[in-house]
Amino acid sequence: MALVQNFPFITIVFSLTCGVLCAVLPGRGAKRLCLGWLALTTAMSGAVLRFTLTTDGSFLYRMGKWGAPFGNELRVGVLEALMATAFSGVMLLSLLGGMRHIFADCEPGKVNLYFTMCALLMSSLFALIYTNDLFTAYVFVEINTIASCALVMLRSSDRTLVATTRYLIMSLLGSGLFLLGIVTLYGITGELLLESIAEKVQALFAAGQYSLPLTVIIGFFSVGLAVKSALFPFHSWLPDAHGSATPSSSAILSGLVLKGYIIVLIKIFYRVFGLEIIVSEQVSRFLLLFGVLAMLVGSVNALRERDLKRLLAYSSVAQVGYIYVGIGLHSELGMVAACVQILAHALTKPMLFICAGGFMDVSGGHKDLAAITGAGLRDPLGGAAFSVGALSMMGIPFFAGFVTKLELARGALEAGPVTLGITFAALAVSTLLNALYYIPIVFNLYTRPRDGAWAGVRQRYHWEYAAALAAFIALNLGFGMGSDWVVGAIRRGLALFGM
Amino acid sequence: MGFLLLLPILFPLAAALALCLRPLRAQRRRRAFTVAALALELGLTALCAALAGGTLPLLPLAEGLCVTFGIDGLGRIFSLLVAFMWLLSGVFTQEYMADREHLGRYHVFLFLTEGALMCLCLAANYLTLYLGFELMTLCSLPLALHTQTGPARRGGYKYLFYSVFGACLGLLGFYTVHTYGRGTAFAPGGVLDPAKVAGHEGFVAAAAFLAVVGFGAKAGLFPLHAWLPAAHPEAPAGASALLSGVITKGGVLCVIRVVYYQFGAAFLRGTWVQYAWLALALVTVLLGSMLAYQEKLFKKRLAYSTVSQAAYILFGLALLQPTAFAGAILHVVVHSAIKDGLFFTAGAVIEKTGQTDVRALRGVGRAMPFTMGCYTVLSLGLIGIPPLGGFASKWLLAEGSLASGIPVFGWLGPAVLLVSALLTAGYLFPITVSAFLPGADLDGTSAPPLEPGPWITLPLAVLTALTVLTGLFPGPLADAAAAIAAALC
Amino acid sequence: MRFLMLFAVLLPLVSGAVLPLFRFRRRQRERYVFAAVCAASLAVLALLLHGPAGTLRLFPLTSTLIVALRLDGAGAVFAGLVAFLWPLASLYAFEYIKHESGDDRFFAFYTMSYGVTLGIAMSDNLLTLYLFYELLTLVTLPLVMHSRDVRSVRAGMKYLCYSIAGAACAFLGLMVLYTLGDPTLRFVYGGFLPADGPRRTLVLVGYLLCFFGFGVKAAVFPFHGWLPAAGVAPTPVTALLHAVAVVKAGVFAVLRVTFYCFGPAVLAGTWAQHTAMGFAVFTIVFGSAMALREPHLKRRLAYSTVSNLSYILFGITLMTPAGLAGALAHMLFHGVMKITLFFCAGAIMYKTQRQYVPELTGLGRYMPVTFAAFAVGGAALAGTPLLPGFLSKWGLAAAAMDAGGTLPLLGVAALLVSAFLTAGYLYAPLVEAFFPPKGAGEHGLAQAHDPGLLMKVPFFVLMAAMLALGVGSRGLLALLARIAAGRW
Repeated sequence: MALVQNFPFITIVFSLTCGVLCAVLPGRGAKRLCLGWLALTTAMSGAVLRFTLTTDGSFLYRMGKWGAPFGNELRVGVLEALMATAFSGVMLLSLLGGMRHIFADCEPGKVNLYFTMCALLMSSLFALIYTNDLFTAYVFVEINTIASCALVMLRSSDRTLVATTRYLIMSLLGSGLFLLGIVTLYGITGELLLESIAEKVQALFAAGQYSLPLTVIIGFFSVGLAVKSALFPFHSWLPDAHGSATPSSSAILSGLVLKGYIIVLIKIFYRVFGLEIIVSEQVSRFLLLFGVLAMLVGSVNALRERDLKRLLAYSSVAQVGYIYVGIGLHSELGMVAACVQILAHALTKPMLFICAGGFMDVSGGHKDLAAITGAGLRDPLGGAAFSVGALSMMGIPFFAGFVTKLELARGALEAGPVTLGITFAALAVSTLLNALYYIPIVFNLYTRPRDGAWAGVRQRYHWEYAAALAAFIALNLGFGMGSDWVVGAIRRGLALFGM
Repeated sequence: MGFLLLLPILFPLAAALALCLRPLRAQRRRRAFTVAALALELGLTALCAALAGGTLPLLPLAEGLCVTFGIDGLGRIFSLLVAFMWLLSGVFTQEYMADREHLGRYHVFLFLTEGALMCLCLAANYLTLYLGFELMTLCSLPLALHTQTGPARRGGYKYLFYSVFGACLGLLGFYTVHTYGRGTAFAPGGVLDPAKVAGHEGFVAAAAFLAVVGFGAKAGLFPLHAWLPAAHPEAPAGASALLSGVITKGGVLCVIRVVYYQFGAAFLRGTWVQYAWLALALVTVLLGSMLAYQEKLFKKRLAYSTVSQAAYILFGLALLQPTAFAGAILHVVVHSAIKDGLFFTAGAVIEKTGQTDVRALRGVGRAMPFTMGCYTVLSLGLIGIPPLGGFASKWLLAEGSLASGIPVFGWLGPAVLLVSALLTAGYLFPITVSAFLPGADLDGTSAPPLEPGPWITLPLAVLTALTVLTGLFPGPLADAAAAIAAALC
Repeated sequence: MRFLMLFAVLLPLVSGAVLPLFRFRRRQRERYVFAAVCAASLAVLALLLHGPAGTLRLFPLTSTLIVALRLDGAGAVFAGLVAFLWPLASLYAFEYIKHESGDDRFFAFYTMSYGVTLGIAMSDNLLTLYLFYELLTLVTLPLVMHSRDVRSVRAGMKYLCYSIAGAACAFLGLMVLYTLGDPTLRFVYGGFLPADGPRRTLVLVGYLLCFFGFGVKAAVFPFHGWLPAAGVAPTPVTALLHAVAVVKAGVFAVLRVTFYCFGPAVLAGTWAQHTAMGFAVFTIVFGSAMALREPHLKRRLAYSTVSNLSYILFGITLMTPAGLAGALAHMLFHGVMKITLFFCAGAIMYKTQRQYVPELTGLGRYMPVTFAAFAVGGAALAGTPLLPGFLSKWGLAAAAMDAGGTLPLLGVAALLVSAFLTAGYLYAPLVEAFFPPKGAGEHGLAQAHDPGLLMKVPFFVLMAAMLALGVGSRGLLALLARIAAGRW
């Protein structure tokens, strides 16, 4: 048992600890602790990734040294380690980039609580990625939800209050469905560990028993997690929540939190039910359909938005649609595409939100599109980063978004003609719509305002903001140019995923 | 001796260029230059006709596309005709347009058009022919537009569009011959390759028909005749004469080359193409005559007459028969001379009296006896009264038609020609009558003499004499035409 | 030698991008831009003279998709055209932009467009072409919207919309090639798809996606709408980009996709070919007809471009080497002819602010050089022999008649109809200008005169070029035939 293999467990538990500690430290101290810890978890997850790549396998980590079906288990493979590394890195950069806003938006004396919530969030994300047990998954899903709500509520205002309330209601609805599914499944199979459940379920399907309840369970899981990850038509809470929160929160929520639930869904589909069953239950059809609708509706709504952050939020709705389309293709290539999009979006959307925060700084705190005219001239690094993000969203080669398009199209080509046609059409229309709202913004950023507003204002570059953006740009380009490595790792990870 | 071929073409271009670079404002200088240049051009053309031989591939444009010049019997006749008529018109213009504006522009394009026509006459393949045709249109357009009045511009636009449309149809013929033939050089009897044509006869025939219609538009073949009465009358009389008398013959030459030297008479004989062509020609003959009969404007009447007369020629060519061919060629020369002369008289009369309507020309014969006398002779020639020129050509046309053995058209043709001759008398003769015999109520003795000067009367006299000569001695020309025809039909 | 390719692409790109940082004065900026443009053109000339130089691999995107440059015959034709015309257009632009503002931004993107266009010409594979193609849209968009008024912005958004949608569709076709053909997407004469491979329908649909996707920039009906709207841009933009660079990039991409990716062996005789050819033939006539009805001079020329681009597309869709040779010839010749006409229109607008054909009455006397160039360009485009348009039309018609079949013959008919209409819409302004109605007043004409030397030099060079091409291009046409047969 190498030391490295302990890291996943450490990251989960010690993140919780970090969170508790942050609660008692003053603001600045909490910040340093949280950032430092995040840097450490990123490094640790990276080490785990290297380990899994070199040993070419996944391993089970039993907590408390008790075997199944009593103890709790973590399963760590290439894909999980990759996601964990990416997520913790993005969270670190998101917090760095929006640090000024965190301190500005928060009530004094409560900043440390924000970092507590972040740490809790990180812990729950790790847990969702690594866990092999349904009940643990549920617990951390709830922790995830609560922590996210707190993230939204950082800046107390009427809007955030309303947004958070809506978020909470919708999210708990989703959690409720999820719990129903777990409970029913437990009732049928009596197991909570994924592999154990899988054995029982396979036997049941083979015997033809409980087929209707199993279908309903799949439905519960799908809808519940779909609600929480803002799949059309359950997306209405997202624009309010992400649009009104502080930039770091929006970044983390859009980039990471949504993905955590999707990872759980993928795990359940693969490890509990298996791909054949999912296909035969036609679930993937619905996911594909709603994914396509999300791509279109999200972008159409984004076109009509005048508020930059709400626009980015609607864009997230569309991008989540891409992931579900990938899942809905129910093929290996499709899943690869979904995972690629999880990573690509996680790298891009937080960057865009951080830039939005920067633009607000140089435009007197306003965030509507008219106000940020010329912001790119006043904040060159932010403008450059936003342009990179926009090009990535449009799918220009060299940027992360292109890899998504590539893999998604490859996946679609494996499918039947109808699916192929729908997916291709959706891809084309979505690319066009993305361009239609991102390019004008980029143009706007580099146009001097006619009335000379904010003429002399310049962005004051704190090292945190600059470093975060530079890192994001580098990661985006790296992903775009080095996607071979990433896609290969995802492939291996999926293979080990228990398919 | 190939380079001799270039002289008649390049010389007018050089003259035009010289006029561009050093416009001659003094009237005397300009007259001298123009007449001298045109006379020299006639000399060069004669020289070329006499001595030149063979072909001259001048500009290779691409693989299989080369601007090539050459001269044969047909080319000699047409090039000499062009140069001769141009000289006469040039002389006429010196007095006719003595006090008009933009004379420099007029003369430049006069020379350019002559060069283009020479290119057409001396073309040795379809490409060069097409080049000459396009240049002819473009260079003669300013002549038609010269007066820049409303009707002139409208006529000019019509001329442009109809000609370009015709050129496009001719271009289709070019593409077809190029694809289905053994090259596009003119060869008596045609150049179509039977192996390539096999299976595509319908298309090739259709292309031939369209080419005839397209090039025939320049000669006013129905249904593309509408530009002629719009454009010819509005141009200055010297230009009208050339447009009606010579440039239409340019179109005719194109038709001859395309039908006899590219597609080949053998290919077209007996096909729907021939019948359709004959039908169109006869329709045009009748239509032109009838419209001329009821037209009251003098120059427009002559323009309709051109439509009709040019259709005689096209009819003769459509028969694909040696005698008719000879008759057509003869009519080319005769009609050219006559129509030029008629336009000269019309120009002189309109210029001197200010009247454009034929009903207002009563008694003008007293004031301009020589002019109207020439008019009378020319009219008789056009109607076809022996021993004047028109009779010989019409006789050959009728003879050829009856000998051709084509059902229906064989006898219908001469019948239509006869009717048309009557109508021609109907629209030409009354003018003579009302000019010399105005009736008792018009006092002719006090009419001031309006006879134009020698610059006008001399060309008129030459043309009248020519009409008489070709009538009395049609032999040489008819024999030459028959010799050409023998190889073609 | 291969690095010269990278130099040719990067130098304009980089020097354009950094232009605003220098804060030049007008004279200095002109010299800077002209130097950069000429340097790149000389590099291209050197590459053309040297011949094939091999592939220059730049960046790998995945293990199979690599951004790389290579100059083969077809690319050389496009690159040569662009390299010849850009310096001329720059001279013209220097004088024209004097009376507009925002020069820095204009010349920055103007120069960058040159680099991007050369990138398209010298692409080694379809991915590289696609990348530069998307960049071309982005880099030319600010040029369209230069005036920043409502019409320009609307035109720019239309352009963006059409172009991105087209590129998105083309991307889908690219993915079909990636999956069913060669994952490196490297251009191979004759295509890299197996002739009788599986999933025929998908292959053909993929081709049509590429054809219409890239065809948006080539203004094929019904995706032509952006081009007349883009006429609101400053004339150097319309002339160079929307008559030469951007639209020729579109036809060039279709050419690459047809002959070097899918290949005639796969496409000839299929419904995909017929569909594509049908749209091309329709557009030939449609564009000319719309041009005839359009009274605004620049929009008229834009519709003319729509029509002429489909001449090239028609040649490509014949799927024979002769057709390709004709298409390449028209690509070259049309570029020269159309840019001349646009320059004339621009000079007229610049000197007299007159934009509509009926306003040109009588201008011929006062702007002789301009209208002489218009006359030569117009006669050339209408297909007068001894000028280049005749040769390229002949090449296309000969190829079509050799190919046989109803649709190619319809295409020949369309070419002839279009020639007729072209004479109509190009000669009419000349008649107005040189033969105004008698007695039409000369009001406002006294100030009209030919533009300055910087604009006149391009006129003379282009007129000379047209005459030279019309008469002496036998060697060039033979070279194009060799390229079209795959022997460079």
